[in-house]
Amino acid sequence: MKSKRTFKPGQFAVTSLSRLIIWIVIIVSIIPMLYVVSASFNPGQSDFSASLIPPNASFANYIALFKTTDFGIWIRNSTEVALVVATAQMFMTAIGAYAFSRLRFYGRKYGLMALILLQMFPGVLSVSAIYAELAQLSLLDNLWVYILIQIGGSAFNIWLVKGYYDTIPRELDEAAIMDGAGHWRIFWKIILPLARPMLAVIFFLTLIGMYSEYLMANTILQSPQNFTLGMGMYSMVSGQFATHLWGEFAAAALISAVPLTVAFGFLNPLISKGLTAGSVKG
Amino acid sequence: MCGILQTQRAENKAAPPLWKAGRVFMAIGETAVNSGNTRVKRRKKGIQWSAYGYLAPALISISVLSLAPMLYTIWISFTNWDAMHFMNYSFIGLRNYAELLNPSDPLNAVFVPTFIWTIMFALLTTVINYFAGLLLAVLLNNKNIKEAPLYRSLLIIPWAVPGLISLLSWQGLLNQSYGQINAALHLVGISAIPWLVNPFWARVSILMVNLWASYPYMMTVCTGALQSVPDELYEAAEMDGANWWQRFRFISMPSVWKVSLPLLIPSFAYSFNNFNAVYLLTGGGPARNSTPFAGYTDILASAAYKMTLTYNRYDYAATLSVILFLLVGLISWLNMQFTGAFKEVD
Repeated sequence: MKSKRTFKPGQFAVTSLSRLIIWIVIIVSIIPMLYVVSASFNPGQSDFSASLIPPNASFANYIALFKTTDFGIWIRNSTEVALVVATAQMFMTAIGAYAFSRLRFYGRKYGLMALILLQMFPGVLSVSAIYAELAQLSLLDNLWVYILIQIGGSAFNIWLVKGYYDTIPRELDEAAIMDGAGHWRIFWKIILPLARPMLAVIFFLTLIGMYSEYLMANTILQSPQNFTLGMGMYSMVSGQFATHLWGEFAAAALISAVPLTVAFGFLNPLISKGLTAGSVKG
Repeated sequence: MCGILQTQRAENKAAPPLWKAGRVFMAIGETAVNSGNTRVKRRKKGIQWSAYGYLAPALISISVLSLAPMLYTIWISFTNWDAMHFMNYSFIGLRNYAELLNPSDPLNAVFVPTFIWTIMFALLTTVINYFAGLLLAVLLNNKNIKEAPLYRSLLIIPWAVPGLISLLSWQGLLNQSYGQINAALHLVGISAIPWLVNPFWARVSILMVNLWASYPYMMTVCTGALQSVPDELYEAAEMDGANWWQRFRFISMPSVWKVSLPLLIPSFAYSFNNFNAVYLLTGGGPARNSTPFAGYTDILASAAYKMTLTYNRYDYAATLSVILFLLVGLISWLNMQFTGAFKEVD
């Protein structure tokens, strides 16, 4: 087996052709992103060339973004929404998952699956009901209403965290019961501290998700001072002044995409670990 | 199977564009199988009522924010609630559904072409993305390409960028007059393509951008499946004189199918209602002359959205939504039959 690998004649051709195709796909995939990066450094507002390196690169677009648009307000609104929603989501998930992992109650067996099935129906289908009702109650265009609408428990998160709780040995619970602890104490003193990494993942994933939420934000919010990041960026790229704002949009895209993408890159392995942990229980 | 799990991304309620509902099914199916194997018999004891206290926040919020709007949508679809009857709408039975299905009704003129495009879009995007992902996974599964992990991480980048930002960026890149894609095409002598303003090219754009954003996911899934095939099988087949196509067809493909089929159906269901993919790129446009309610690239979900927000036709929007509820339910049910997910989850 250790002998030096020699190419069969056909194999070399196949390998080279594979490399070629893969490189073409990589280049075609990456170039559009590089175009956005280059546009963000291109101070000229009218000429958009096909070259990747703008002739007189500068930070003009970044300065203009903060000076002439409400980018700061959008970021502030989105951050406010994301922090509140992620905190609430983490809290609901943590205690809900405890019930499914450690307690006996009616609906334990099928309840979680039923909820996950229910949430398979995408939110866009409920927009007419939510919008019509909020309009009737005059609750539109209110950042807190938007936050409340987003604070729904996620059955999937509960399932994920339940899987994690299931891996925490029950001997710990039993020892605590011996010492006279009730369920709330077991949850608070044993399970919660041990599940911190998983809960942090839930928190950050919700946070990232809320930064890129557009559907409900655009349904509920209207006035510019309530715009979220998604709404603001949409208005930059598809408004009638879009041509003039492309450079600023590119700057905004870069500022918001880079931290979210990097954060996701770090979190994705953690969530996979959580999924695997949840699925192998004994 | 572990490869698949490791590549799962979380479905997150707050982020439908980023995390795809389909993955949940797969993961759940996985758990169902595993927990079924190592199932421990538990003693039946009394009910712990405090459990409902722990569940209350999640249950209440899910009821109010997921269940209630769904039921309310069904109710609205039986009424004539629109801007004209905003405060005094009334129950009209199945009239909205009758209008939807009556070929001579204007609502039908929205529904039929939009419905056809919705199915076309969901089918095409699922199939194209799947085969692109499969092709790349197969190419990368070549033992002679030592740097395959590097390629994989480069290829996965489009998937990692938040969908909202990448879709909006594409909207700018594909702009007919100032977009850089046309500028690049100009370099190679292709004249400006009316990407987002011509009905045909707008549809091509949507499929193209969706491919860009989703092939990494399909590639990851197929890679996991391919790597789960033990090398001995290939070696044995080679001994028996099987050529590469036979090895691929009879050894790789069965295992790839087994893993990916349960993901293809949810992926189809997800595309069916992939509001962001359409709305953030084209806004549903270009507009049709025949009806203001839906443009050439509008799928049913985005048409319903525009009916609500732009035209205040809550009745029509709700009726379309109920049709979509039924379709999503049907597809999910089919998927459960295929994968056996949910059969035994304790």
